[in-house]
This record gives sequence, structure tokens and C-alpha cells, in this order.
Amino acid sequence: MATNRVVLQLNQQQTELLDKTVARGEATDRLALIRRALKEYAERHGGAGKGGPRS
Amino acid sequence: MNGRTIISDFVIEPGTGKAVELKKGQVLRIEQIEGGQCADFNCFNLHDYKEYFHTGRTRHLHGLHPTKGDFLWSAPPRERPMMFILADTVGTNDILYPRCSAFLFEYHYGLGVHTNCHDIQAEAQREYGLTPDDVHDSFNFFMHTGIDGHGRPFIGRQTSKKGDYVELVAMMDVLAVPNVCGADVMATSDFQLKPLRIVVMESTAADLKAIPEWPTFRNQRTPASFRNGKIKADRPLRRDDQYVAEYTNVPLRLESVAVDLDDNEARLLADLTASGQYGATSAEALRYVVFSWWIERFMQGPKHFDDLKA
Repeated sequence: MATNRVVLQLNQQQTELLDKTVARGEATDRLALIRRALKEYAERHGGAGKGGPRS
Repeated sequence: MNGRTIISDFVIEPGTGKAVELKKGQVLRIEQIEGGQCADFNCFNLHDYKEYFHTGRTRHLHGLHPTKGDFLWSAPPRERPMMFILADTVGTNDILYPRCSAFLFEYHYGLGVHTNCHDIQAEAQREYGLTPDDVHDSFNFFMHTGIDGHGRPFIGRQTSKKGDYVELVAMMDVLAVPNVCGADVMATSDFQLKPLRIVVMESTAADLKAIPEWPTFRNQRTPASFRNGKIKADRPLRRDDQYVAEYTNVPLRLESVAVDLDDNEARLLADLTASGQYGATSAEALRYVVFSWWIERFMQGPKHFDDLKA
């Protein structure tokens, strides 16, 4: 558990958005919100080449 | 710089822009320092600010994604080529989306104070006495956009890389106003704001030779032909010596946020990263995914991805 560390670079506006989302009860803290986002996004879009933003 | 004489060479930081005077024939380069950054842009006739770059006429004449060989046109009733795109190493420019604004970030995200292109433009051009009402819809260099099958616009991942650039030749004396797009929670610049390099240069004979003939018609009017040519402000743009820039939320400070993933989450992220659609590294991919998820889940109003139909 928790052996894979990823370090995000976020500015204060981006952390503000995440923290506001936490404050309204979407996750217990910022890290939990990020992990939830990853799981839900992956569930929706799948892995390699499936869905995701169009480029 | 192709043998050109450099007049000025500077960097605009995230959250900021800069009003730059160019004489007719001079060249403006907007260059990626890191890659992946949208540059919003506007320009004015230096001697009559009521003549300004118009997305509508430019879109009409050159389509949604103007590039090398196209002009930036002024608004009716002037409708003259103000600048010419001499070079474009990417080719993913946008004149479909309007500039982002404070309202949008409050409406879409609930963020009351946020960097946005309208306010950055307003603050940059305030150096020349212009007001927030004088900001016009922008030319969005390097912004990667399209229209989906349902007629809705979408924003794709950036394709610009470090060192990519556009070069514009001034077709008249202009005040050019590039800014680093302030949208860091939209996909516009891949969810990270990065500085841009701005270079002003004298053109060469080869540069000017590359500009095609442009049309001149009687209906490219000037104030001389207006029934009412008077406005409630001076036409010449003069620099305010007292001007001190005050940009919203600047400086933008990056914070390192360490996220520990369990093995299953790490596998999910590895798969998303391997798709190549979200960034070169797992950290870039995770940031892209987090804010894309936020947009899908919580953003109010029309969203800017094309695959969000449940």
C-alpha cells in the first residue's frame, strides 16, 4: 500500500479548486480527492487509447 | 532569428501579459519556453485604438485555425490587415473560443478570484490608458481546438513543444498585447501555466517579400468617412508613466503535492500515461486526469471536451 509516489506540481489556484471541492465533502482531504479522481476517470475512460480528451 | 536585428527580448510570466509597440514592418515572435502554453493575443492601431483585431472577420476570411500566410484583420468598418502570420511552427491556433474571464471561473468552478485572459489583457493594456471595455476577443495562439460531431467546440491537448513559435509582421503601427492564458483549470494549456518568450525584431527584405498583396477597398473605412468621427477619448495611445502592473494572483507559485498510490491505482495511472493522451510523465498525466475528472464531474455549463456524453 502507498508505495508508488507521484509528485504533482500545482499552483495556488489549482490547489484552491481541489481544497474547495474537499471542503464541500467530496473527499476527506486533497490526496483522497486526487486518488478518487484517478479511479473514477480510469473507470470511465479506461487505459491505453480508450476515451480521454481528443487531440 | 533569421538575421534580424532584435529590438527587445523578454519573458512574460504566468498570469501576466505585456503591451508592446511595433512599427509597421517590425516582427513579433511569441515563443514557447517549455511548450504547451496558449498565448492570447490582441492588437490595436497605435494611432487609433478604435481599430483593433477582430476574430469574426479573421474567422470569416481564414477559418477557425489561421496559420502561416494568413492575416489578422481589424473590425468593421475598417477591415484592414493589421498583422501577417509570417511563421507558425505548430499550426494549432484558435479564433473560435472567446477569451476566458473572471465570470467563467466563478460560473464554471466557483472560484471568485482567478487569473483570466480578459483581466490580464485589461491590465496589460492599461499601461496605454485603455480600459477593461477595450479588451476584444483574442487570437489564441497554440490553442488546440475543434468542433465535435454535434457542432460543439472542444479543447484538445496542446501539441506545441519547447522552442515552437509564431511570428507576426505588423502591417501598420500597432500596440500588440500578448498574454499567458490564465486558464489553468481548463485544458487550454494542459493544466499548467508556463512563461512565454516575446521578441520584437526588425524585418528583413525576405520577410516583407513573403507578404502577399492585400486588398484595398473603398469600404475599408476610416474616421474621415464617418458621419460621426468623434469619440470621447483621445485616439493616440500614450504610455502612462505612473503605470504599475497589478495582475490577479501573481506571482503564481507551484507547490509539490506528493500522492501515494496503491498498486492498483498505480497500474491505472500507468495505463493512462501509456496512452500518450495525458502527458509525458505520470505526474503530468495525473494532473491532466484530475482536472479532466473535475470538469466532467462538477463544471457548470457547457464543457470543453467532446466525449462527455454519458
